[in-house]
Amino acid sequence: MAGKPQPVRVLYCAVCSLPAEYCEFGPDFEKCKPWLIQNAPDLYPDLVKEANAKETDKVANQLQSTGISSGGGDGAASSAPKEEVKRLPGGKIKKKEKQEVTIEKVTRNKRKSITTVKGLELFGVKLSDASKKLGKKFATGASVVKGPTEKDQIDVQGDIAYDIVEFITDTWPDVPEAAIFFIEDGRKVPAA
Amino acid sequence: MFKKFSTEEVSAQNQVKASVQRKIRQSIADEYPGLEQVLEDLIPKKSPLIVAKCQNHLNLVVVNNVPLFFNIRDGPYMPTLRLLHQYPDIMKKLQVDRGAIRFVLSGANIMCPGLTSPGGSLDDEVGAETPVAIMAEGKQHALAIGFTKMSAKEIRDINKGIGVDNMHYLNDGLWKSGYIVALATSLSFAAY
Ligand SMILES: [Zn+2]
Repeated sequence: MAGKPQPVRVLYCAVCSLPAEYCEFGPDFEKCKPWLIQNAPDLYPDLVKEANAKETDKVANQLQSTGISSGGGDGAASSAPKEEVKRLPGGKIKKKEKQEVTIEKVTRNKRKSITTVKGLELFGVKLSDASKKLGKKFATGASVVKGPTEKDQIDVQGDIAYDIVEFITDTWPDVPEAAIFFIEDGRKVPAA
Repeated sequence: MFKKFSTEEVSAQNQVKASVQRKIRQSIADEYPGLEQVLEDLIPKKSPLIVAKCQNHLNLVVVNNVPLFFNIRDGPYMPTLRLLHQYPDIMKKLQVDRGAIRFVLSGANIMCPGLTSPGGSLDDEVGAETPVAIMAEGKQHALAIGFTKMSAKEIRDINKGIGVDNMHYLNDGLWKSGYIVALATSLSFAAY
């Protein structure tokens, strides 16, 4: 025995944290599989075989259903249309998203309340700009806040729901009144 | 032992006095002569050594935010699995058959038949009340740390009931909280 023993490097699964060889006994082998195929193919030769079989099936299906094999990679062809739906050039408008603005009054204390405005960005309105305008108009504090679903919203202090609709339609003519809704008791009520 | 372990069970964690640190270091050096040459890397004399006291008289030895060893009351120190994986030869090994793996990984103690069956293996030098690495048929790395209830010979002769207590196993609370303990430790007050 000469020199320091070198620490053994163990391949740990990035999905379940166990040594990769124990994934099959782990909490969710199915979830580990894609990682294992990439990173530990020699530990699970059957998985790789299985995956290859599936892959050829898939390609075969694709060829059958489209009836064409435009030389140039099936992968690229199938992923391209998906992208298009998600985001139009310029990224201004997401096609799938319904364009609407929702306004909700949230009571903070007994008397204090906050009015949240969501969805203005769907009409190409810059939220930081809108928040400034709203604050000025209603002489109150307004700020852009990260909403729960990674979408931003504007929080305006105070109950301003009564004339915010008019202000929005006046300030941003692109936003039709019909697209503005109030959330009342969890229900959506058209403002118009 | 660590089935439901979490950082909430750490009732106190303190940087220990130099004299205590020396004692712990010496105990570990005596128990694991195979670590002699790397001990200074693992537990540098100058780095603070933290002992996290947990429920059931369990102590965790933490260095640089990594739990390295644990013991119960004044019992022998046992390495965490992550440490054992790096230096697999520091402990005597017992091997369970493949059928026993999932029981061990759900926290069950190790029954004699799992060690005496064709897939298992016993090291006759192992006595009773000894920390051991639990290996598994067809696997390279240890899946648990055990504490023998009887000697290897007795396990073979008696061949029923619990042969080894399961102290720490892959994916138990200590395994999962490895990093959380680390984090909590780094945030804790570095008391005396
Ligand atoms: Zn895994």
